Amino acid sequence: MFNDLNPILHSQLRLSIVSILMTVEEAEFTFIKETTGAAAGNISIQIKKLQDAGYVKVEKTFKNNYPNTTVSITDKGIKAFENYVNNLKKYINPKK
Amino acid sequence: MKEEITPEQSLLLIARTIEETKTRFKENGHIMILWGTLTFIVFVSQYIFVQIGWYKLFDIAWTNILFLFGGIYTLLYTWKKLKNKNIPKTIIGRIMTIMSWVFGINLMIIGIFFGHRFGVALGPLFLILFALFIIMIGVSIKFKPITIGGAIMNLMGFAAFYIDPQYHGLLLAAGGVVAMVIPGILLNKAKRKENV
Repeated sequence: MFNDLNPILHSQLRLSIVSILMTVEEAEFTFIKETTGAAAGNISIQIKKLQDAGYVKVEKTFKNNYPNTTVSITDKGIKAFENYVNNLKKYINPKK
Repeated sequence: MKEEITPEQSLLLIARTIEETKTRFKENGHIMILWGTLTFIVFVSQYIFVQIGWYKLFDIAWTNILFLFGGIYTLLYTWKKLKNKNIPKTIIGRIMTIMSWVFGINLMIIGIFFGHRFGVALGPLFLILFALFIIMIGVSIKFKPITIGGAIMNLMGFAAFYIDPQYHGLLLAAGGVVAMVIPGILLNKAKRKENV
């Protein structure tokens, strides 16, 4: 039905993750988990898909001796998000 | 499972997520109330010390101890908050943190080492500089009471040029209440309301 909408972004959880990353410079995995309320495993899978598409950058470090994953959006991701929002607007208001 | 969401739902989801993200790391008024109270205590006590003749004896040490306490507390509070709450990095947050420290250190250096060179303009200068910084905070976190408080302080700075310099300290104290304590309390109230 919505063929022109980027299928990578047209998914609830992936769209939520990208929306979070559009608001911040970078976010820790736990912040994304708390904000979306999704399960850690599901978030990991979706972040991997976004990473494979080149939309996000994932950095794994250590914080207080615990593994810490930080995610940030890439330029390609920003452009894809902007295109996605523009396409959404066209669907909602096709005359514009 | 393939999920199908409509364009309307997508836009709503984007708007909600962005709003939720902003709310989660919105600053509370705690530090503003602290600095407003410190400003009030320091400048009212300075005025009292002048009146009872203790100015040279206690003033500089007292002022520096209180502001130093404020600086150390702010540092520890920010560090603890960042460590415990996984606060994400934002460009505005980074600029605000750097500007806060640059601003605070500059005001301290001016106050301690070069205050006498500004003569009677020191009070108005401090009021105007404080006001500019507070307006910047208000605009960046989009909270009108802070911006309005800063604007009032800014006007107080210009008004100070027409007021006897011995009362400049009291104007700074009043500025601390109008531009920091009251907006800080309102910010905390607004934050609590959002969390309900």
